[in-house]
Amino acid sequence: MKSAGSSIGRSFDVHNHVLDNGLRTLLVENQAIPAISINASVLAGARQEPEEQAGLAIMVSRLLDEGTVSRSSLEIAEAIESVGGSIESDGSFERIVLSCTILKQDLDLGLELVSDILLHPAFPPDYVTKEKARTLAEIASAKDRPQVVAGWTFNELVYGRHPLHRPVQGYPDTVERIGRDDLLGFHHTFFTPGNTLLSVVGDFRVSDLLPKIERYFGRWAQKPVPVAAIPRPHRQTERRRKFVAMPAQQVNIYLGHLGIERANPDYYALQVLDTILGGGAGFTARIPQRLRDEMGLAYTMFASITSTAGLDPGRFVAYIGTSPENMQLATEGLLNEIRRVIDEPVTAQELQDAKDYLTGSFVFAFESSAQIARFLVHAEVYGLGFDYIEKYPQYIEGISIDEVSRVAKKYLDSENYTMAVAGPVDRNGRPTHNGR
Amino acid sequence: MSIPLGLSTFAADGVRKTVLDNGLVVVTRELHASPIVTTVLWYRVGSRNEEVGQTGKSHFLEHMLFKGASRFAKGEIDLLTLKNGGGNNAFTSHDFTAYYFNFASDRWKVALEIEADRMVNCTFDADEFDAEKKVVIEELKGNLDSPWGLLLQELDATAYKVHPYRNPIVGWLQDVERATAEEQQAYYRKYYHPNNAVLVITGDFDAERTLEDVARCFAGIPAGPAPPAVMLVEPEQHGEKRVLVRWRSKVPRIAIAYHAPEIAHGDSYPLHILGAILAEGKASRLYQRLVERDQNVTFVTAEYGESKDPTLFHIRAEGRGRHTAEEIEAGIHDELRRVVEEGVTPAELMRAKHQIEAHFILSRERTLDQALLFGQIETLYGLDYIDTYLRRISEVTEDDVSRVCARYCREDNRTVGWLLPDKSAEIVEEDITSEEDSGESAPFPEGGVQ
Repeated sequence: MKSAGSSIGRSFDVHNHVLDNGLRTLLVENQAIPAISINASVLAGARQEPEEQAGLAIMVSRLLDEGTVSRSSLEIAEAIESVGGSIESDGSFERIVLSCTILKQDLDLGLELVSDILLHPAFPPDYVTKEKARTLAEIASAKDRPQVVAGWTFNELVYGRHPLHRPVQGYPDTVERIGRDDLLGFHHTFFTPGNTLLSVVGDFRVSDLLPKIERYFGRWAQKPVPVAAIPRPHRQTERRRKFVAMPAQQVNIYLGHLGIERANPDYYALQVLDTILGGGAGFTARIPQRLRDEMGLAYTMFASITSTAGLDPGRFVAYIGTSPENMQLATEGLLNEIRRVIDEPVTAQELQDAKDYLTGSFVFAFESSAQIARFLVHAEVYGLGFDYIEKYPQYIEGISIDEVSRVAKKYLDSENYTMAVAGPVDRNGRPTHNGR
Repeated sequence: MSIPLGLSTFAADGVRKTVLDNGLVVVTRELHASPIVTTVLWYRVGSRNEEVGQTGKSHFLEHMLFKGASRFAKGEIDLLTLKNGGGNNAFTSHDFTAYYFNFASDRWKVALEIEADRMVNCTFDADEFDAEKKVVIEELKGNLDSPWGLLLQELDATAYKVHPYRNPIVGWLQDVERATAEEQQAYYRKYYHPNNAVLVITGDFDAERTLEDVARCFAGIPAGPAPPAVMLVEPEQHGEKRVLVRWRSKVPRIAIAYHAPEIAHGDSYPLHILGAILAEGKASRLYQRLVERDQNVTFVTAEYGESKDPTLFHIRAEGRGRHTAEEIEAGIHDELRRVVEEGVTPAELMRAKHQIEAHFILSRERTLDQALLFGQIETLYGLDYIDTYLRRISEVTEDDVSRVCARYCREDNRTVGWLLPDKSAEIVEEDITSEEDSGESAPFPEGGVQ
């Protein structure tokens, strides 16, 4: 048992228990509301799927609750919904997460359903067909939004052949190719107790819960999981640009390049940098202050390198959505601020404000059971340790002006960047009159 | 139907309402689970108060409240939020405008000082107003780039012919473009008074001492004249209305709006249940019909939203494959007909009640969630609604559900909106797969830009 949390003014005990079959459980009692959040995170996602089967991991996640060996899709839905609970399954590049939220008196039902869905999904053939059609429709729908198109285009240019170049849903032709055997294969390979974290947070007693977990998950057979060799992506050494013409009111601009892994020790200095450049509270950061508050160029904009950091390097992205006639001003504005933070030291006041913001707002990440459950998984997956909550303020307080300058020079580039634009522009980047 | 856990007292327990002499309503609830205090200041003004040609005023005002008042100049509110490690934001709806702060409980009182200052002392500098107008117009344009944003805007504008709920909250572009700082300031003077506001504080504080702090900050602000009441009443609809929106997408989208009653109306409770039976979860009727059986949509929703004045019950669905809007619409009408003619089952009714009850608890975990609930309900109707809501839900019968479905979800009371492809839909598809540009003739010089 590990106690965590005095730096956020509250503490919670993390009960870290490994079952004989290797399933790691992370349990936190939280009596704030009479409910329980159960989260099973399988540590495999779209980064492990082959290029020609892009979209496989997401499809596995979406079909989990569409029927098990002993329950139909409708039986699962009726069971959970009739007690007012919910089960959701979602996938990302790194994980497939099955989350169940229930009132506390329904804990047994929640564990039983999560266990059944996780261990014995049936991937019924008619649901596989349906889910493929639905995914194709969702991809078509997502392409209606210029911001999505710009973001996807950006990733393609930044990541080259690394799995993160793809939309997590895959492409229409790869989704078409996915068969039921592929889904069963992914499940068979990656869904093992040793490759799964079970976090439970809410209104229960650990002493009551542990035997129940043993009952529902103890007979899950352990087996080895192949380690995927995923090549490291490389940061670009030249400028890349692409303009996608779409009739729209605004142009959506993504500008940036490859970022960092979550385990990078410079993560905290870069969080301070993010706060000064494009994050923080309201419109205090340099980019929104200049481009929104002073120039009135846009309603939405942000810049960050840490928010996408994961097992793989994330992205440094500066984003803005603006009217086509502002495109050049907006792009210049973003580049100027990136250049300035690389070339000139931030002020002592900016540094102090950013530190105060990051350490002071840390508490908001631990308010709900779902947030705590998410933290437990991050702490485990990224090796943060459960004393992270104690250490975080020290990590931030230790950052100096020179540190911020050093990481800005090392990790940001105002010359060799990718720029992806979607909206009323032609292929050469000239604004066109919008189509509506 | 019994309520599990005695939930009816869960939400409203420990909620305290105080009214200052100047009319400011103060709602407090102590919650000590996390060292956080949330403050939300609500004004009883939204797009429903806007006159013809003046749309968007409430929303624009929300932006201007960050642009400088007598004590806190432009940028200072955000800067103080940053320095104190907090969060802030604001939002405008049909019925209200609200401003919130989240702070650690050892430094939250700055929120009271900021709200007291900007309640009456905003400066409306003309240059700031003009700069912010550009931002608001960008926000408005961003909404128009969302297919659902556009379809619902056109649907509501068609469904209502008189009531201001017909206008987009952000306003019509032409109204926003010609707005002036003087008009905006006059609107502010009309609606921003302590007697037109509700201050909600939830979290880790001591209510007694906090009420003293509230009095210190707000009691000196004089009450203003009562804002004019909204007199417009939407007349009865006498036949189906239809609206077609042409857009660049190849994906058909459909939305149906039925005129429905306001918050706390006797029929509002069965309408909440009807919404859950139709589209909450995978066991719901429209999900089973359209997603599972007909397989012609990617998603379907049905929602009765609470409003001060009579509102709309919305059903929406996004088409897939080669299925047509006609097909999808026919399926929705057929399921509504079944509810009316064949009724709902006891199991469906029980499931919907449990979903609503559980949602009521599960979605109120954070101090901000609670402050939003209390403020919204006090602004729209009055806090006692919370005390009776779950009991009223639990009393709904199967017959009530069929009855309200027959009464409201009928042809003469509906407006149907379709969003279908325009001529550009094919071109977009081609351009997404276009080759990367050479950069040769791009307007950005290779050496960067200054």
